Amino acid sequence: MEEEAEPPHEKHCDEELQSPTVLPWDRFSNWIHCCCVVTFDLELGQAMELIYPSHIKLTDKEKMNICYLSFPDSNSGCMGDTQFHFRIRQCPGRKAAVKAHNSYNRDCPVTLQSETAFYYGFVYFRQTKDRSIRRGYFQKSVVLISKLPFVALFSQLVSIVAPEYFDNGEPSLEAACHDIDQWPTPVPGDTLNLPIMGTVIQVRIPCRSDKVTGSTQKAPGTHTIPAHTILPSLHEVDIYSAFQSILPHVQLLWELVLIGEPVVVMAASPSVTSACVQALVNMIAPLRYCNDFRPYFTIHDSEFKEFTTRTQAPPPVILGVTNPFFAKTLQHWPHIIRIGEMGGFGSSPKALNKLKKAASLKTLDSKPGVYTQFKTFLSKDKMILKRLMKGATLKRPVEAQNAILRRHFLEMTQSFMIPLERYMASLMPLQRNISPHKGPPRLRPFDADEFLHTVEHSGPQLTSGIKGDWEGLYRRFFKCPNFEGWYYQRQREVNQKLQVLHMDALSNSNLTEWIEDKEEVEIVDLILRIKEKLKFASNNHTVVQGESVERLQKHLATIVQALPDDLQTVIKT
Amino acid sequence: MAMAGGYQRNAPGDGEFSRMQMRDVKVCLLGDSGVGKSSIVMRFVTGTYRPALESTIGASFMSKSLIVDGTGYRFQIWDTAGQEKFRSLAPMYYRGAAAAVIVYDVTRPHTYKSVKGWIQELRSFGPQDIVIAIAGNKCDLEDLREVTEKEAQEYASSIGAIFGETSAMTAVNVEEMFTALARQLPPEEVTSHTGSTINLRRQASKQDPKKKRSCCGGGGGGSPSGQGSLSHGAEPSRRQGNRLA
Repeated sequence: MEEEAEPPHEKHCDEELQSPTVLPWDRFSNWIHCCCVVTFDLELGQAMELIYPSHIKLTDKEKMNICYLSFPDSNSGCMGDTQFHFRIRQCPGRKAAVKAHNSYNRDCPVTLQSETAFYYGFVYFRQTKDRSIRRGYFQKSVVLISKLPFVALFSQLVSIVAPEYFDNGEPSLEAACHDIDQWPTPVPGDTLNLPIMGTVIQVRIPCRSDKVTGSTQKAPGTHTIPAHTILPSLHEVDIYSAFQSILPHVQLLWELVLIGEPVVVMAASPSVTSACVQALVNMIAPLRYCNDFRPYFTIHDSEFKEFTTRTQAPPPVILGVTNPFFAKTLQHWPHIIRIGEMGGFGSSPKALNKLKKAASLKTLDSKPGVYTQFKTFLSKDKMILKRLMKGATLKRPVEAQNAILRRHFLEMTQSFMIPLERYMASLMPLQRNISPHKGPPRLRPFDADEFLHTVEHSGPQLTSGIKGDWEGLYRRFFKCPNFEGWYYQRQREVNQKLQVLHMDALSNSNLTEWIEDKEEVEIVDLILRIKEKLKFASNNHTVVQGESVERLQKHLATIVQALPDDLQTVIKT
Repeated sequence: MAMAGGYQRNAPGDGEFSRMQMRDVKVCLLGDSGVGKSSIVMRFVTGTYRPALESTIGASFMSKSLIVDGTGYRFQIWDTAGQEKFRSLAPMYYRGAAAAVIVYDVTRPHTYKSVKGWIQELRSFGPQDIVIAIAGNKCDLEDLREVTEKEAQEYASSIGAIFGETSAMTAVNVEEMFTALARQLPPEEVTSHTGSTINLRRQASKQDPKKKRSCCGGGGGGSPSGQGSLSHGAEPSRRQGNRLA
């Protein structure tokens, strides 16, 4: 009998088993903040029954929000099991982000970065008749709280964990959390095997350098254990089903999301609102949606007043609501999406094709549709609708419809962003302007008018057949956080790159020769600059070449040597 | 993708094993607290031993590949917790398992008594064609022994289970046991080429573990006749008294 070592690329869940630096719950917190059980108490209403692991602290406000958001707002029609997710604000002044998320955030697509000020909650709610309970019903939710927007993975995860918990109680939650505490770190680009309660989920963590194609990435053949469940995506939701009843308006919705308009989604169940809100937010990928959004929002939420006030214009957020009360409270909102039962395609053809005036919406029972007076900047692409309609009549699988729709949005977003990316690149200083004896060059500032001037000859018309007022769309986009978020991200990346180039230039120049005829002050100045560079290098070790660092350290040693003794001691301290 | 019975072919281009067909085998370890399940797994997977491992919570998962008689096997091992409070979770781990190792401690007779309960549970609720091994662990502690090898051996034979006394500390019989499990697996059925011919055994093993199978009747203690009604009719002798070398 021969024995073979596991191939080195396998992500072993036990690879860090003997590592003394990994403490219990470290790996768990790389994925999940905590797991909660919310129950209905006759005296208290929704109440937090359990937080696991027990050392995790949530503020009272966070607990209250989690409790209310873990139950359907209006109970009708939620018998049996219901799944959905929500997003809440994290209370300020808390422990900094999870350590492993720093490197994760650097290499993952920006749309999948871990939240800094929010938590996601993934809910599995069960309601069954139970005569042994005074209220006559068993009503309980298991909720996974995480800072990571892995909607597909965590929905799958809670659907495995919660039913076991309802059957076997707390030990099953303990077992599940212990399984998660064996999971490997989420490293962008890796395909991971995640053991959970007797099965294995396999999923690939997307990477920023992935070619974005619109079709779901096929996991490479590197898996070495059989996964019971192969998740095609970590985060993607079924956007086709979510938009099915409002398909003719998806392009309008894309514009609304892109320019960060306030949108409210009204439906009967939190499953529908959370799927739709998430689909809206994902629509503009690979661009990150930078405004606040709440896949499910209730009247008890701590932000209720803030979001519904009539003394100010509606806030630029996307809300998903189910309580009929909102139909009145939010009727002044400029864009309202009403989704009925997720019936077959075209079940109410009249509602499908007309945009409605918001004022005509009085109750949650109004017809499905998009209620807005917004005039789109771009003309409608009828081809995509035709393709989807045809697919629906041919009973094409939902996955295929999703792929078509996702690809369409991706192409729209890319057509919109490519001119911006190109202009951004033109703001880079030239290589020859990088001098070791000057500070690192900076990016030229963004000039909207200059950019719009380039759009005339090399705008989206090069990659998209869609006509319309692209310039107007850009102008609106520049005023919204989605632009700001994109711009700051690019600016950071470019400045980091310039720092690296500048560092290379410094390490490659002959500094020993240069200091020969220099004043002490200039030399000290140079030393400080090198030290600053080395500090940058240690903070950004993944993008910096080791050779440059070594050369710089050598330079530093030589230059310090050349100084008078008294100055040397000052420099060294 | 549901995977009952534990056979699933490897995707091509799989590193070192790319040229070899790998057979994936889900194995679970069952048995009382403190009998050494985790130590056996640790010995098998990493070749090491540590006294006084902390108590397992729920179950631990590890994987390990072995080549037996020219065939590659990839064990995905669920090492379950022995503590009573996790007892009700066991079905999650033996659900869809191709093999189970029931471990007892040769120095503690009550851990041996529990083996029979596990056998009954597996026969009633486990996958139909699950291969079972019984491991009498801590056989290095000869002077403390309270369960004779003969007794356990005879019981294992009577129910057609693989048997061996093991020591996670000295490594005696640990790898041998997994090798024996691999050899004992029912032949892999090819479903991909036969089109409509669907493997009945795999369907049968998907049944609700909570429902007691009628063919087992009230058969406690694993009567050999009950054994015969499992789908191994063609090769019952292979399952009798398999002793480790």
